Amino acid sequence: MTHQILAHTASQISALAAFAQTGAAEPTPPTFWMPVGASTISQGVDHTLDVINWICYVFFALVVGLTVWFVVKYRHRTGDKFRTDYPTHNTPLEITWSVIPTIIVIGIFVVGFRSYLDIYTAPKNAFDIKVTAQKWAWSFQYPNGALSDDLYIPAGRPVRLVLRSTDVLHSLYIPDFRVKRDIVPGRYTYAWFQCDFPTGQPGKTPRDPNAKVVSGPEDDAQAHTLFCTEYCGTGHSKMNRYVYVLDEASFGQWMTDQSQWMDKIPEEELYFKAGPKIFARCQQCHSLDGTVGIGPSWKGIIERVKAYPIVGDGKEYGTWEDYIRTSILVPGKYVVPTYGNVMPSFKGQLNDKAIDAVLGYMQQLEKFDTKTGKLKAEFDPATGIKK
Amino acid sequence: MTTIQLPSPGAIPDTIEGRPASDNYLTHTRGILSWIFTLDHKRIGVMYMWSVLGAFLLGGTFALLLRTELLTPGPTITASADTYNQWFTLHGAIMVFLVIIPSIPAALGNIILPIMLGAKDVAFPRLNLFSYYLWVTGAVLCVVSLAMGGFDTGWTFYTPYSTTTTAGGVIPVLTAAFVLGFSSIFTGLNFIVTVHKLRPPGMTWFRMPLFLWAIYATAIIQVLATPVLGITLLLLIVERTVNIGIFNPSMGGDPVLYQHFFWFYSHPAVYIMILPAMGIISEIIAINSHRAIFGYRLIAFSSIAIAFFSFIVWGHHMFTSGQSALMNTLFSAISFSVAIPSAVKVFNWIATLYKGSVSLTTPMWYALSFLFLFTIGGLTGLHLATLSTDVHLHDTYFVVAHFHYVMMGSALIGMIGGLHHWWPKIFGRMYDERLGTIACWIIFIGFNVTFFTQFMLGSQGMPRRYYDYQPEFQVYHVISTIGSYIMAVGFTLTAISLFGSFFNGKKAPANPWGGRSLEWQCASPPPFDNFAKAPRVGDCYDFSVVHWDPKLGGYRVDESNDPEVNPAAQGTKAAH
Repeated sequence: MTHQILAHTASQISALAAFAQTGAAEPTPPTFWMPVGASTISQGVDHTLDVINWICYVFFALVVGLTVWFVVKYRHRTGDKFRTDYPTHNTPLEITWSVIPTIIVIGIFVVGFRSYLDIYTAPKNAFDIKVTAQKWAWSFQYPNGALSDDLYIPAGRPVRLVLRSTDVLHSLYIPDFRVKRDIVPGRYTYAWFQCDFPTGQPGKTPRDPNAKVVSGPEDDAQAHTLFCTEYCGTGHSKMNRYVYVLDEASFGQWMTDQSQWMDKIPEEELYFKAGPKIFARCQQCHSLDGTVGIGPSWKGIIERVKAYPIVGDGKEYGTWEDYIRTSILVPGKYVVPTYGNVMPSFKGQLNDKAIDAVLGYMQQLEKFDTKTGKLKAEFDPATGIKK
Repeated sequence: MTTIQLPSPGAIPDTIEGRPASDNYLTHTRGILSWIFTLDHKRIGVMYMWSVLGAFLLGGTFALLLRTELLTPGPTITASADTYNQWFTLHGAIMVFLVIIPSIPAALGNIILPIMLGAKDVAFPRLNLFSYYLWVTGAVLCVVSLAMGGFDTGWTFYTPYSTTTTAGGVIPVLTAAFVLGFSSIFTGLNFIVTVHKLRPPGMTWFRMPLFLWAIYATAIIQVLATPVLGITLLLLIVERTVNIGIFNPSMGGDPVLYQHFFWFYSHPAVYIMILPAMGIISEIIAINSHRAIFGYRLIAFSSIAIAFFSFIVWGHHMFTSGQSALMNTLFSAISFSVAIPSAVKVFNWIATLYKGSVSLTTPMWYALSFLFLFTIGGLTGLHLATLSTDVHLHDTYFVVAHFHYVMMGSALIGMIGGLHHWWPKIFGRMYDERLGTIACWIIFIGFNVTFFTQFMLGSQGMPRRYYDYQPEFQVYHVISTIGSYIMAVGFTLTAISLFGSFFNGKKAPANPWGGRSLEWQCASPPPFDNFAKAPRVGDCYDFSVVHWDPKLGGYRVDESNDPEVNPAAQGTKAAH
């Protein structure tokens, strides 16, 4: 049996090597154990897992089988005579069952180590994306300055994430890519992966019911999920976003659009064209329907701000707009006592135009759906005026 | 009549001249003060036992709250993620620091170790009582922490979250863990000295029952590793109160340093939890198979080997933390070495069943559950020691499932098994074995339903410590929660069967299972000072001198034919 395990292990190692050379044609479908495998390393990891699983199945069956067999066969009832023909030790046997597991775990280590090297070392031509993690949001910054809340990556090209945190520990985890990396404040860490299979693009590619990649926002294209896996407090379980994989051309186009998307919007249309997109970032903590979350609801926020003692003539803030702007850029400067001082600063992530969009959005809140934050159906998406 | 006169000449007298036959450690002195200030290891152990079981009830309640909350994505029974975060933190901290770490050494170990060894008490009885009151102080500080706003740091207290969170009870709970650490150190110190110094003549190292070897190995870890936790928590308190940057990068500290310190203790702590349970399983399996344990020396050495390796594998908790690839590789390689002594133990236990005479008593059912659950817990450790698969599985429910199989399915099941094994000895009453066995089965089934599901949940990508989750994970969560309810039923039945023994339990014989080690040769419950005169030490795994006696309703050790004890009987043993 040991021989079989070793043979199996050996065949898995050679299978691994074969995969590393050829690559796969499409994402591996989800199995009983693993989710969709969509990165270039996922098959190596899955095969390592298979090797270990089979070793586990064999040993588990051995342990449970022998236990049940012996218990049934040597069952004793109170008062019967005890057997006395038992062995008390058997040195060759004991050496054997110390040495065999040793050989097996060395084998597992080697298989795991080989696939780990692939995970660890980013290729030289990798495409860099800067990632900032903060309670409880992700921000992805691309080489041309474009920013996004979901991760967009080019297909067929290694991507290296340069990770940093502005507050506590976080960890970036994309199960479909088998990638995970802790994000440590005060340090930069890297994660890299390559995905060869484009997913849809929100707003452009509708969901394909037959696609292997099945997660993603309900009303949008498929995507891979990205989680925070290092506990970081209240919003930890909401700190997840999507990963969209675009083919090289669409990705370039997307990056250009993304860096300029607000520039083309006229000032008076900002609130309904940019507002909802920015709000998507804020809705982890702020609601539109009056529900108090980690932060105050935006419903009625202007009236409440105007009523604050520190806003108004001769006070610290002249206008409510000043107060909101300060709250976005220097959130800790004045915190309403019922809330914690937990909001991260958006300095460098939201420019003046984006803040204008937020202010306009707050003024016209009744035009937006309180659940999705998007313009209600009765308003024309092109003009923002009631149809 | 609570004690039973053993008719055999080889048995140790359980009464002392001038003292009534009903005199035992429970009745020797009366009144609440006689308990509060007792220096008797058995009474201290019993107080530990009730305290730990009380904490277990509390920790278990939080577990049920967590599982109920996870029945649906989004809010189920609490609309606040902060409340959920406090629950899982409390569940973890209570179960680790107040329940599992002290459960076997401090509760069962205190009661049984000196008697098993043939000593009248532990080496330092006052230190023993002090260690119990440190435990109580720790528990009180946990309550103080709740009153001050609780804590939401996770039981691992990772920085900088733990030094910056606004929850009000962080410092009291850090102090609690610090104090509980000293409770653990003192227990360990006491046991090391007791084992070295108080063995009676004839109790050589390799005559010691394997439970003593396990407790001894545990005590070494307790004494060597726990101070590291103490100083780490102290540094954390200093950082949080006076803002000296040790771990927080915004003050020039390093959060990964904290993880190194923390796991340098907390990985060995895993073996503080599991090793004593392994010792109990060695006892239960040998006694209920009524045959010599297979490969005694290998099991004893593997306990020491596990204790040794436990100190050099902590880095496997940090494969994704930013630790260098070289360190990761070394820690991965060393971590696998723990698998070998663990596997050896399992093989030896199975070999002990071979050609044994297996009595399926309630403790034996727990031991068999342990074998099953520990095998799964141990084997899934391979997935996590392997570098590439750990990167995927780290901080997911796979890890949660793995450590519950080891810490609950093995350490706690071993503890409950030990409780059933020694309950007749401790309280002198037999519990309802039928009910006890049914309860064991229900716990076993509930446990697997709860935690096996979580392996799939984790490998499919569900991160741990999540209040809310994606709808595709719900089916696993629902199954897991149902399993936790089944377990709750099982534990309730266990409690009914054990507590029922006080009301309608038969009086326990001195030796209900057929043990040979010394604790089975003194009365149930043991007399106040354990042994009137130094006991004679035989081979504790030679069951050829143990005979069923229907009149006693238990077993009787007849050493008159044992040449080791009675030289006149030379040669008769072989004919037995």
